[in-house]
Amino acid sequence: MKEKPNKLEQRRGFSLLLSILLVFCVFGTVVYAIARKTTEEMSSAAIQNLSESLDLLQCTIEAILNNEAEFQRLVAQEVARAEDPEAFILAYEKNRTMAKLSLIRAGETQGVSNVGEVFTEEGLDFSENGAVGGLAISQSYLNYMGTWAYTMKCPVVRDGQELGTLYVEYVYDTIDRSLPAEGFYNKQASLYIMDAESERFVLKPKGMGQRSAGHLNLDDFYRANSVSDPGIQAEVAQCLDSGQNILFYHDIRGVNALNYMWSVNNGTIFLVGYVPVEAIQQEGRTVNQNIAVVVAVMLAAFFLCVLLYYFNWRQQEQVRKEREEERRLHSQQLAEALQAAQIASTSKTTFLSNMSHDIRTPMNAVLGFTTLLAKETENPAKVREYTGKIMASGQHLLSLINDILDVSKIESGKVVLTYDEFALNDVVSSVEAIIQPMARAKRQEFHVEVTGIRHEYLVGDETRLNQILINLLSNAVKYTPEDGHIWLRIIGLKQRSSQYEHIRIEVEDDGYGMTPEYLETIFDAFTRAENSTTNKVQGTGLGMAITKSIVELMSGTIDVSSQVDKGSIFRVELELRVQEGQMDRQFWQDRGISRILAVEGNAENGESIQTLMEDTGIQVNVAAGLEEALSWISGGGTYQLVLLDWEAVGPDAGFSAAGALRQALPEEVPLLLLGEYDAQGMEGALELGRTEMLTKPFFVSAFREKVKELWAGETPDSRECEQSSGLEGLHFLAAEDNEINAEILAELLSLEGASCEIVENGRLAVERFQQSEPGEFHGILMDVQMPVMNGHDAARAIRALDREDAGRIPIIAMTANAFAEDEKAALDAGMNAHVAKPLDVELLKKAVKQCGMEKEHL
Amino acid sequence: MSDCAEKRIRRRAAACLAGALLLALAGCGDGGKDQNLMPSKEVGERVVNFFSPMEKADPNAENVARTASDLTIAMAEKALGVTVYYTTYTAEDYQDRTYDDVTMDRARNDMDDLYLLNPDTVMALGAEGKLMDLSGLDSAKNLRDIIRVANTVDGKLVAIPQEVVAYGLFVNMELFQQYGLDLPETPEEFLECCRVFQENGIETPVGANRWWLETFVFAQAYADLYNGGNTQAEIDALNSGAARYSDYMRPGFEFLQTLIDCGYIDAEKALVSEAIEGEGADFLAGKTPIVMAYWGAANSDTAYGKTDFEMQVIGFPSSRGQMPVMPMTGYAVGANAEHAEDAMRVLDIIVSDEALQVYSETNRVISPSKNVSVDCAPALRPLNDRIEEGVYVLGSNAGMKVEQWGNTCRIVRQLLGGATVDECMAAFDQLQDAALGDA
Repeated sequence: MKEKPNKLEQRRGFSLLLSILLVFCVFGTVVYAIARKTTEEMSSAAIQNLSESLDLLQCTIEAILNNEAEFQRLVAQEVARAEDPEAFILAYEKNRTMAKLSLIRAGETQGVSNVGEVFTEEGLDFSENGAVGGLAISQSYLNYMGTWAYTMKCPVVRDGQELGTLYVEYVYDTIDRSLPAEGFYNKQASLYIMDAESERFVLKPKGMGQRSAGHLNLDDFYRANSVSDPGIQAEVAQCLDSGQNILFYHDIRGVNALNYMWSVNNGTIFLVGYVPVEAIQQEGRTVNQNIAVVVAVMLAAFFLCVLLYYFNWRQQEQVRKEREEERRLHSQQLAEALQAAQIASTSKTTFLSNMSHDIRTPMNAVLGFTTLLAKETENPAKVREYTGKIMASGQHLLSLINDILDVSKIESGKVVLTYDEFALNDVVSSVEAIIQPMARAKRQEFHVEVTGIRHEYLVGDETRLNQILINLLSNAVKYTPEDGHIWLRIIGLKQRSSQYEHIRIEVEDDGYGMTPEYLETIFDAFTRAENSTTNKVQGTGLGMAITKSIVELMSGTIDVSSQVDKGSIFRVELELRVQEGQMDRQFWQDRGISRILAVEGNAENGESIQTLMEDTGIQVNVAAGLEEALSWISGGGTYQLVLLDWEAVGPDAGFSAAGALRQALPEEVPLLLLGEYDAQGMEGALELGRTEMLTKPFFVSAFREKVKELWAGETPDSRECEQSSGLEGLHFLAAEDNEINAEILAELLSLEGASCEIVENGRLAVERFQQSEPGEFHGILMDVQMPVMNGHDAARAIRALDREDAGRIPIIAMTANAFAEDEKAALDAGMNAHVAKPLDVELLKKAVKQCGMEKEHL
Repeated sequence: MSDCAEKRIRRRAAACLAGALLLALAGCGDGGKDQNLMPSKEVGERVVNFFSPMEKADPNAENVARTASDLTIAMAEKALGVTVYYTTYTAEDYQDRTYDDVTMDRARNDMDDLYLLNPDTVMALGAEGKLMDLSGLDSAKNLRDIIRVANTVDGKLVAIPQEVVAYGLFVNMELFQQYGLDLPETPEEFLECCRVFQENGIETPVGANRWWLETFVFAQAYADLYNGGNTQAEIDALNSGAARYSDYMRPGFEFLQTLIDCGYIDAEKALVSEAIEGEGADFLAGKTPIVMAYWGAANSDTAYGKTDFEMQVIGFPSSRGQMPVMPMTGYAVGANAEHAEDAMRVLDIIVSDEALQVYSETNRVISPSKNVSVDCAPALRPLNDRIEEGVYVLGSNAGMKVEQWGNTCRIVRQLLGGATVDECMAAFDQLQDAALGDA
């Protein structure tokens, strides 16, 4: 199909070329014909022109000769009339015309001459019978003056009787003077006068260069001008004999010339020479040049038109091609977009399908167990069991919804990081607290290792960092079979800037692993590893996409390597700003801690402890084993605290080592056992006295808390535990338009020993608060999206009220708008805290605590 | 093609169109018109008639002497604004009147303004008072003494040459080497060389014409006179009749007679041969090992400028070794010339140092000016060396009362025509007597 248009184009091009050639041929033929005709006419005109010129010259010379003959007759008459003819002759002075005047009396062979010498006819050749005006003319000869001359003889007749013969010698110089002074054809022609009999040139051109060959005689002329054609020579000879004129073309030294032999005086002398054709056809050359110029201009114009047409065509062609290309690109983009849309549609369809499945599954559990619960209300054990399961399913459902919301937010670019100061220890602890139970539930071993970290107080979005770790670790737990291992490593890398801690987070497992194909799409949204094994795993398939997006938001990198059935390792590299300000050295000084001993079998961990403790101003001595530690202690080393890595002294040796150290140490020096969350056999050691446990990995913040505890002699955790039910006795004003939610809120608060008064919208809340007695409500729980007046406006209105407590009454936003910007908007509206729906009582407690309500209350 | 290139072509196309439009407009233009349609003529053209010989040998060959001369004439034309008209003559054959004859007639009849004269005509016309005294020209001051002496007749400098003409023997070195011959120094050695050549099949070893055989005679006659240190005394003796020209000339004529008798030269052919025309072809073809010619022939394509063999130019054999013979040609101005003043000016320019430098460089000849010198062609070095040494004889000398160059030539022709040496000597005696008688 493609070839057909090409062939058609080729045929068109060929036809066009043929047409152009045809036009050129016709044009060329016409020009050639005109030029040829012009040339022929000009040639004919040139011959005519030259003939006329030569005729003119011939007539001039013949007129001179005739005048000379006529004059000679008159002189002869004068001589005849003279009494003494000889005396007349002798008295005659030579002039420029007549070089010599001589007289031979009739019947004599000698006579007299005006030059004074004896004159005879010897040397004069009248044999050719040439005559001028009836007077015999001799052959040309070199006369006594060294110049070419001829003699005419005229009878001197007195009274009818011939007295003698008058001989007059004429020099050719006279004729020369009569010829055009400017030369012939603007000096381009050459003109010789040749004596016909001797074929000698008797008059020659006189300009420079006329000493070269060719000026002597006809043969010399032939030789000099390469006239070697015997035909021409024969014809010339014939014309010379017959006294006829001849004109012929012959190149003279490479120049096209008209050669001539022009008979004068019936062939006694000839005009010989050549004229370059160009000299005759000067106007012809101009005409030809003009024709050539016109033709050239026309051709140039034609080619110019062709060129312009070609460029125009090219431009149009280019535009057409560009458009086609653009169209093609557009089509391709459309096709790609369509394909992408189809893929996206498919993905989303799959996702929706998955979601449908994933939502329905826990929903099914919720509804199913709720049904069962309705039937088993009398059985407390069952009720607890079912409510627990309903809770778990609800939690899962919530996580699903959170993930979906996260993805939609990330995709629409609405995720904003909230930077705040945090301690790495808190992150690790909270993650460990979440993951460790999950791992334990699957009988997996979960290890946390922290090495090379220089600063643990950092600035960043702790929540999102937690999210990254939990996503990665929960995935690891999910995709690792029972009895598997999971490692979380936080590694301090070389700092690029002293203000930033460069960390790498590694999450490794020895689980199912992933195929290379799946690895390519693992970070894409709406994908999930699908195989018979993992199908058992619940998830949205969004975790990795969210994780990657968050990492990138933090300007970090994430990569993964995995092998099927070998496990996977995710690596996240982040740079987190180090918190400004000095460590609280005063804390340690206050407690007299300046030197501690760390018994750490792992040198790397030892170094890590030393690095972390650098800023505290405390000297940390690291002993590789128990013996070394004991020797240092016994050697007089004064330590205010000893850290013992529970695993450092070998399996099952922890207790004895702790005992040995305890014994070696003064009583007041605390011994801190550094061990895993579930370290075996540590409980006994804790009984040794002034011995406490510190969970691995070592963090200064945790260590500080522990020291604080040890020196204070109380455990803050236990105190916090006691304070855990922080809602008891509180009375809230709650603005909630949804009746069910309002009921749930009321029930939950009542379960916690608190109470509330529900109003249906913001305006009512404002009004109710306005009407309330001071201290009637400990706080206000404010839904945001409500009819009449929303929560934000209501909060602003409350803050604007003219009441003493209007500005300080705690207002907690309690809304399904759970994003960070929602929280910000709530705070901006004058609220004190933000709790997302569905309501988590623990979170509410935290918020209440944050608002200081409980303290106030207490 | 890039946009830039297209724009350039468009610009050029626009320029072409504009140019074409301008041409068309110019073509349509009327220009200022005079009522008189005749073009104005130059008036008062100044002319100098120059009589000189013309070429007839080979129209395609370049005659550097002519070219060199024309260059100097062009300088004069340009400098003075005159036009030099050439009137030329050359004899058709040996029976025709010679260039010298015609020159004499023309000079005597005041036909021309400027003449190129051979030594004998310089002498004759100078003696007749037909030539202008050139000693007042600026360029005359630069002449070498030898030139001045040789062209001074009756106290008048009557001719000035553009080159010092030196005659020598042109020898085919390859033939000499082929037969193991050294270049001859003396007449005897020369005869021996001719014998060897003849024995080896070269029947006529010496190519000759009717003009230049006299050079052999001069070399032997005046080798001692010009190189013996007593030149002026000997000339004075000849002029007074105390010494006889025939005594000087005899050895050379006897030598020529030997050459004729032995068949080393073809007397009959020589008698009717023009210079170079007769003997040149055989010499160039390598058939004749020796010819005689003037210096410039070694440079001119019309003569022996391009040979297929190694050529050397040496002096004529004499008792004093190889002897260059130097006749003095020259330019002269007719005493009654119609355009004498312009002719003198032209002559002053064409023999000026500047013009002679051009002439000598073009023609590679010895310059008559003591201020001009150029390298000669390699073939001419032997001859040049002798001249530089000051060893040469003059072929013409205005100080001698008997004209040498023309008379000796004529008498040599008599020898060629069959006259005896004694008859030839008698002719010299007669000439000397006539000269003494005139005196």
